[in-house]
Amino acid sequence: MSPTILLRDIDEPGLATLDVYERRGGYSSLRKALAMVPDAIVAEIDASGLRGRGGAGFPAGRKSAFLPKGDMDKYLVCNADESEPGTFKDRELMQKCPHMLIEGIVIAARGAGISRAFIYIRGEYEAQARILDAALAEARGAGYIGERILGSDFSLDVVLHRGAGAYICGEETGLLDSLEGKRGNPRLKPPFPALQGLYQGPTLINNVETLMTMPHIIEIGGAEYAKLGAPNSAGTKVVSVSGHVQRPGNYEVELGTPSREIIFDLAGGPPPGRRVKLWFPGGSSSPVLTEADLDIPYDFDSLAKAGTMLGSGAIIVVDDSTPVLDVALKVAKFYRHESCGKCTPCREGTNWTVRMLERIETGEATPMDLDIMASVQERIIGNCLCVLGDAMAMPISSMISKFREELEAHMLSRQLADVAA
Amino acid sequence: MSGVRRYKHGSRVPGWDSAADLDKAPATIPDPALVEVPVELREQIEAAMARYPERHSAALPALRAAQDRYGWCSPEAIEQVACVMRVTPAYLASVASFYDMFELAPAGRHSVYVCTNITCSLRGADELFAAIEDAVGDDPEIGVRGFECLGACDIAPMVSVDQVYYGPLELADAARLVEDLRAGREPIPELALALRPSADPGAASA
Amino acid sequence: MPRPQSNTITFSIDGREVQAPENMMLADAAKLGDIEIPVFCYEPKLGQPVGACRMCLVEIEGIPKLQTACSTAVKDGMVVHTRSERAVEAQRGVVEFLLINHPLDCPVCDKGGECPLQDITFGWGAGRSRFIEPKRHFRKPLELSPLIAIDRERCILCYRCVRFAQEISEDYQLILLERGGHSFVGTFDGHPYVAPFSGNIIELCPVGALTSRPYRFRARPWEIEGSGTVCTLCPAQCNVDLTVRDERVLRVLARQNDEVDDGWLCDKGRFAYQSVHVDERVTAPLIRDGGELREVSWERALSEAAGGLRRAGSKVAALAGGGATNEEGLLLARLVRDVLGSPDVDSRPTGAVALDDWRALAAPALAAKVSDLEFAHAVLVLDCEPLDDAPIIELRIRKGVRRQGVSLLLATDRPSALDPSARASLRFAPGRGAEFAGALAAAVRGGDVDAAAAGVSAEEVAALASVLRDAGEEVVILYGERLLDGGAGALLDLADALGLASCAGAGLIGIPEFANGRGLREAGAAAGVGPGLGEVAGGRHTSGIGAGLRGGELTALYLLGVDPFVDLPDRAGWEAALEHATTVIAHAGFLSDGLREHATVVFPAEAYPEKEGTVTHPDGRIQRLRPAIARQGEVRATWSILADLCRALGSDTAIATGAAASAALFEAVPMYSGLTLEELAGRGVRWVEREQATALPRPTAVPAPAPPRPAPASAGRSLVLGSYRSLWSAPEVAASPALAFLHPPQRVEISPHDARALDRGEGEEVLAVDESGAAVRAVVAVRDAVPAGRAILLAGLANDGANVLTGGSVELRDPPPPPEPEPAAEAVGEEIEEALV
Repeated sequence: MSPTILLRDIDEPGLATLDVYERRGGYSSLRKALAMVPDAIVAEIDASGLRGRGGAGFPAGRKSAFLPKGDMDKYLVCNADESEPGTFKDRELMQKCPHMLIEGIVIAARGAGISRAFIYIRGEYEAQARILDAALAEARGAGYIGERILGSDFSLDVVLHRGAGAYICGEETGLLDSLEGKRGNPRLKPPFPALQGLYQGPTLINNVETLMTMPHIIEIGGAEYAKLGAPNSAGTKVVSVSGHVQRPGNYEVELGTPSREIIFDLAGGPPPGRRVKLWFPGGSSSPVLTEADLDIPYDFDSLAKAGTMLGSGAIIVVDDSTPVLDVALKVAKFYRHESCGKCTPCREGTNWTVRMLERIETGEATPMDLDIMASVQERIIGNCLCVLGDAMAMPISSMISKFREELEAHMLSRQLADVAA
Repeated sequence: MSGVRRYKHGSRVPGWDSAADLDKAPATIPDPALVEVPVELREQIEAAMARYPERHSAALPALRAAQDRYGWCSPEAIEQVACVMRVTPAYLASVASFYDMFELAPAGRHSVYVCTNITCSLRGADELFAAIEDAVGDDPEIGVRGFECLGACDIAPMVSVDQVYYGPLELADAARLVEDLRAGREPIPELALALRPSADPGAASA
Repeated sequence: MPRPQSNTITFSIDGREVQAPENMMLADAAKLGDIEIPVFCYEPKLGQPVGACRMCLVEIEGIPKLQTACSTAVKDGMVVHTRSERAVEAQRGVVEFLLINHPLDCPVCDKGGECPLQDITFGWGAGRSRFIEPKRHFRKPLELSPLIAIDRERCILCYRCVRFAQEISEDYQLILLERGGHSFVGTFDGHPYVAPFSGNIIELCPVGALTSRPYRFRARPWEIEGSGTVCTLCPAQCNVDLTVRDERVLRVLARQNDEVDDGWLCDKGRFAYQSVHVDERVTAPLIRDGGELREVSWERALSEAAGGLRRAGSKVAALAGGGATNEEGLLLARLVRDVLGSPDVDSRPTGAVALDDWRALAAPALAAKVSDLEFAHAVLVLDCEPLDDAPIIELRIRKGVRRQGVSLLLATDRPSALDPSARASLRFAPGRGAEFAGALAAAVRGGDVDAAAAGVSAEEVAALASVLRDAGEEVVILYGERLLDGGAGALLDLADALGLASCAGAGLIGIPEFANGRGLREAGAAAGVGPGLGEVAGGRHTSGIGAGLRGGELTALYLLGVDPFVDLPDRAGWEAALEHATTVIAHAGFLSDGLREHATVVFPAEAYPEKEGTVTHPDGRIQRLRPAIARQGEVRATWSILADLCRALGSDTAIATGAAASAALFEAVPMYSGLTLEELAGRGVRWVEREQATALPRPTAVPAPAPPRPAPASAGRSLVLGSYRSLWSAPEVAASPALAFLHPPQRVEISPHDARALDRGEGEEVLAVDESGAAVRAVVAVRDAVPAGRAILLAGLANDGANVLTGGSVELRDPPPPPEPEPAAEAVGEEIEEALV
């Protein structure tokens, strides 16, 4: 099996405490990083080939390098607003190993010359917020965060900020507005957060898993880390597998592992007698794949080539007992509920899509409606302020094109049933 | 208007049909001379403001503190927060109504969020939600809401009871959950997420 | 601070080469090539674009995704396609999305015919919709405030109105509630959206969602005409576009002038047009006959007035104010000084200012303009409250602070609406602006500071001085002209200490008490001031005129737009003065009880939509009034009445038209010489920027600061009295049915400390009694921001105004039982709605 980095021994009792974490070698990477010049830290991250684990997969080293140099107030924001349906990796990581996140935050901040950090954790994760708060207090007490960390000239203040229930705050600029105490509406880009983010200052935003990988990279070196994984998809990834599988949960795999291995060998595959009908490879916003796609290697580029994406690394498996229409409706309703309402195509398009799907469900639709629905998705994709609209339109589009026959058969059967009645 | 499909699932009743009450005074920033704020709440809000470079960032923690105290973000609660934060109550109402976790109507002592998103629904969440609603009936002390993905698809179908995660639930657990809550016990304790080991073979320490 | 400047670049749009300033937003730059890109949410006045509506998606070569033209800055060589297949498809998509829940009730929509949504649907939509689901329906229209109706079905959630409330007026009362498709515009807990600038959201709304309740269903766009003029209800002199139908003003819209109003209006300016067409308005001449005023012919009224003036001869005095124009000021001064031989003309409510001080203050080198408030390093608001005194100026100050980071400093005698935006706020004792300015000047010069007379500590003054000194050289001081009662020398000293005269972008702007105070003075209608700030034989200032009448040295009073019972301090003194006068001639649109009792001749005053002539903005901009409607009833032009009186008294001015009156003004005031009305049309002309500005006479002596007066102190249970005139204390507000609810009742603002000490609570009725025993009824308002030991009352009210009190302090006593119940305030606007649906 592939090497485990983030989940290794994560069930060790007491790992959430400083004591156990230190005993296991925790914070030694921070000591090492403090002895390095900041640019060298960024260089190691860059060399590791680490790509963002939150959804967009942007190279983490380059992201740090975008921040301007200088004495202005710069901010690091850890995106712990894990809300993409199917995704629950950050929850487990923060709950069981909070100090690794704190260590990663300090390392990343040091690399980019940042002195204030915020962890934006979704409001529903109350248990995890408590654990993180306790860990932050311990870390502060031990001098890992705060003024002059471990006697160095580097200081970092870390504040835990809890959200209050809004998927859109996982979008980085929506998150910034929310952190500033506003409604979590995404902002126009440009300006990009690296130049004008939180409180108009340069801001580095990274996902929990991305930051938690950094201590390991510093420990073994970027070049060494880059040897793991697949081309252009270095390292390991914690994959949340859920839905119709026998052993749902988080599994850490080397990127490039065949998807079938994750779904069947690790997660146990669908219940006996059932077959995989469709699966989301990267959370509910990724275009769906089918049974025929199970051998695609699980990495950024292979999935992109298959017309979908790795996203947050959340595989949702749907077996042949479930009508595709049910899945489409859940997806569309979710994004309608979570649309912030700021931009037109997303606000209206998600609503319209739900209304059309409901009409299909009740048998009041014709195949022409599928064409209209597909065209509505086309008018959403690429035309919104942020990616939430696309997050609905892409999977819905994929379901219409891959399961058109089933949807048409459903309409027909409902209409026949009506006629019979 | 009865024929129009209205808002039920995972959402609150919007105020689209309400006019302003012209007998009310405009709601400007509350004057500290006229609004009494409990000392403890004031301290919580001031402490929250002190954590950020800009005081508006304290909006969410301040509203949460008020909700914890009063059970919901009542207009009076919002006015008190506004008074301490030196913002208009409208500013806070706008923020509060954006987020699903703020209660804008009186809520019961207990909150039960039932995840009805994809994974949970694949594993029976819609039936579970109905069963819990049935079990609760019209008990005003337990607020049940269908909720979007709570980030615990590994324990689908799951619920968050007073912000603690439990799962996976069987249909039969619905009645027991409600019973436990009414009896003042921790509900379905053996299903608490906190007890659950990781699925990854590498997770258990050697 | 640097003003924005940029290079010209060339870009290509739909095959046309277009030149535009670099970094201009594409949506604006396209217009330079005669290409329209449709927008809903984009409105440059509201600040940074938000890119919400997505209507302006266009294709830009080299960028894979379509871009919003509202947020894309043009660059040299950019190639843009607004009508490519992809762009058109996206634009059609957005129109289709916007219309799926829009009710399409255009036939019964007040916006119909002037609706951007209609126009854009026609121009950029596909012409049909594929949405066949039932639309949402809601109750409509609903009241958002007494002035504004909201139709949430029509709302397209463009964010303009809420952005206005957040980023322009900063009142944060109007908000979006809920999220996603449930989002709606509303207020907190059903409170009405009542704020000084609320009406602007009506004009901002690109659909029929926000409509004016007073205007609803009054006219269709093809039945109305627009007519540009200048609002003279306050010194801000906003440029307006009046909507006229059948010689009635039905609506007031902003006529954007970036150097004056930035395209905004206050609600007084927007809705007080109603007072033009109400029954209470005086529209025929009146004379006193048997103790009562009664309507007479013009001939009779003019001969009565001329007779009274002739009998009084050089014992006539005149006061000008209100919206009186420069021409009217000139003719009034001629009538009084040249024809009747009296030197006594004034246009300020209080004390004297030396001619040399006026000249020094008017120096072009010291003149700041409105837009300087936006780009200065620091703005000092000294002894005025912009919101009440010149509301639109307040928005400009907020804009500067918000967008340019201007350091705002406030030094006033009462809490200010700008306090939350200020870097420093300081409260001096009521009426001690002069002493404060003196202390501040000393502190800026680094000398010893004794601020006791201003009622503040030396440290406070020093701290403010150091912020002011260090902010940067571009400092604008916005002061209230009341400061000049003893404070002109100190203000000039402060300007000198800060070196304002030697820095472009720095300077002074004085807010007069009357709307055209500056113009009246420059036309020569001020005590001891001739046309063009020229020499004249000295004359009494306003309070001296009151004393002169009481003492019998003066026997007749000519009131041009001034009501002493409302506008001037010492109401009792003025009552005695008018009691003594044998002739009181008043131009009035509305009669207060005092005028009704004391005037011998009343000429119906023109409302500003009926007026022609010029006014001068506080920053020296001469602006032209153009009549939008015929004068109502028997109202005549004020200039013609003054000319008629001159003729009747034996001096023919040879002025037979309004244009001739303006020509006479341009001839009489050297700084205005050579101006033409044509030149003034549109945006006006700042005389301080003209060559002819050198004709301003120089001061003959360096004005010296006046010696400080001791600060008023509270003793025992008495509170030091302060007063101010609210934006809403105006007869035009009281007379406009839609606005009357804003006309304030008297209230006394006190600190929480004094409320406890005196055991008085919010809303309690009290009698505020001064040392002389004079008293006004008021309702207690406990305000955290009021300094302890103060009582702040409203001036400018018809009856219980602060001018009833003459002492420096008041005690709060229990009121005697009310004489009789007040008639209930009329419900506003309700019936308008019903009458039309």
